Amino acid sequence: MEYAIQTKNLVKRYGRRFTALDDISLNVRKGNVVGYLGPNGAGKTTTIKILTKLIKPTAGHAYINGIDITRPSPEVLGKVGSLIEIPGMYEFLTPVEMLTYFGRVYRIDKQSLDQRIKEILSLVKLSDWANKKTSKFSTGMQRRLAIAKAVLHKPDVLLLDEPVLGLDPSGIKDVRELIRQFKNEGMTVFLSSHLLGEVAEVCDSVIFIDKGKIIDSKTMKDITNRLASKAIRVEFSSPVSDDDVARIRSVKSVSNIDILDNNTLLIHFEGGLPASHQILRDLAGMNLEILSYDHDRMGVEDYYLSLFENESGAKQ
Amino acid sequence: MTALSNDLYFTFLSLRFEFGNHLKRKRILVVVAFAIIIPVLLMYVFPVHIPDDDIGKLIAEMNAPIQRAINSLDFSCFLMIYLTALLFASGSISDEFEKKTGLLLYPTPQRRVSIFAGKYLAALAAVLLVVSMIYIVVTAQVIGLYGMGSIPVALGKSYLAAAFYSCSVVSIIYFFSSIFKKALVSAFTGLFLLFLVLPGLQILMDTLELDKENWFLLSSHVNLITAVLNESRVYPEGLFHSTVQASFGTGLAVMIAYAIIFFVAGTWIANRKDMI
Repeated sequence: MEYAIQTKNLVKRYGRRFTALDDISLNVRKGNVVGYLGPNGAGKTTTIKILTKLIKPTAGHAYINGIDITRPSPEVLGKVGSLIEIPGMYEFLTPVEMLTYFGRVYRIDKQSLDQRIKEILSLVKLSDWANKKTSKFSTGMQRRLAIAKAVLHKPDVLLLDEPVLGLDPSGIKDVRELIRQFKNEGMTVFLSSHLLGEVAEVCDSVIFIDKGKIIDSKTMKDITNRLASKAIRVEFSSPVSDDDVARIRSVKSVSNIDILDNNTLLIHFEGGLPASHQILRDLAGMNLEILSYDHDRMGVEDYYLSLFENESGAKQ
Repeated sequence: MTALSNDLYFTFLSLRFEFGNHLKRKRILVVVAFAIIIPVLLMYVFPVHIPDDDIGKLIAEMNAPIQRAINSLDFSCFLMIYLTALLFASGSISDEFEKKTGLLLYPTPQRRVSIFAGKYLAALAAVLLVVSMIYIVVTAQVIGLYGMGSIPVALGKSYLAAAFYSCSVVSIIYFFSSIFKKALVSAFTGLFLLFLVLPGLQILMDTLELDKENWFLLSSHVNLITAVLNESRVYPEGLFHSTVQASFGTGLAVMIAYAIIFFVAGTWIANRKDMI
């Protein structure tokens, strides 16, 4: 299978003591949106910088569309768009002037370029600022302009390093929407973040990295299944008797019951959503007056934290 | 498209983009204004001295256009070469790291060597523009004061020396810009080499009476810009005179060697540098 992004045993060392990447091998299928998650300093930006030829790996290989990125020729970058860290702006230029230069670098012909610049500035909501100097731009606007530059040439592969860093909630929503749009256009998006919640909504799968090593790799479907509740918090309108508890315990699929207070139980069960539905039907059949029936969900951030806690625990 | 034509295309793009940036910053307009004003001011600050004695007066009058040109160039040309080179070459590579614009510029399908060559040429173009402006003003002054036929032929040689010296100064500062991530540090280190290290070595070699061996020092040839004018002075027939012959060819060769060596070294270093 041909991957849009692939790394094989990628290593990056700074001096003899610090290893930023330690034998990283990952595959990203064409057309997928993949999150690259890890705490600050995990090696996310280093990986993306290697994929964009900004730094050279100490060992190993990285491929974009099957072409080795460590080769001297930079032409492979013609199919790649990137947003890395918080790039500086050419503050004496306007977005149109800046994008015109990069359009020429990507060899977009003049007529198509003018049209494309209009489209892309509209997409990132900067049309009204098209001819204003970027020195007057807020962080969010600079970030949107950097995204415009990244997708100006309609790349096959889009590498986004912490794309929502420093953005307000509305800006974060806009960036998520843009990523969905890029996916619909068939781009492969590789997206780094230190917050799972930020990428969970838009990613097909997630790769977890910590201290320069990949520690896990999951599809979002897998993660969602793992997060699926195995406990239900049930609140009753009147205190629950011991007999009621014994009857509930006898319901099929119920494995255990925690009594949280006189009116509230935490019912642990085996099986998926159908089992939960059956338990609800059985409780209703017992003529118990139910006020609320909630899955006791583990949040995506809890999952993310538990993953890194397990990793550091395993090392100790 | 061949690799060479690709590189030339991207070098031209980079040159145009960088020079466009210089124009947008308006710095270049300020230095061009200085290049016009300073030689004009010097005309009033340093008038051509005419001695009282007959021979001295005759010699001074015969050489007045040359003296006028030397007076104007001696200060303004050097000042403007250093100032313009510092303004436009010290940040040529450092700025991409310091301001993080390299994160936009480098992950593109162009070889970094092309980008750097364009940046170097843009800085050089800015300096040559300013130097050319100074020589235009000086030539205009001479014509205005002494007539069209009075333009010293050596002014052309002087311009050539100034242009070559500009290349070497730009290359030296560009070299330090490839090493340091701050334009200010690149500028100071470049000045340190030009004003302290090279002249210091020259003084040391002169002290050790190795003056014939110091031809390879750039500082030994700096005065070529005015020396070629000095040696073109004319004297009344039969009057003994002696002038130190400027080693024009050697001087230009040393200047161009410095320009090439520092440019190649700077580009090599910048090309190997990780954008951390």
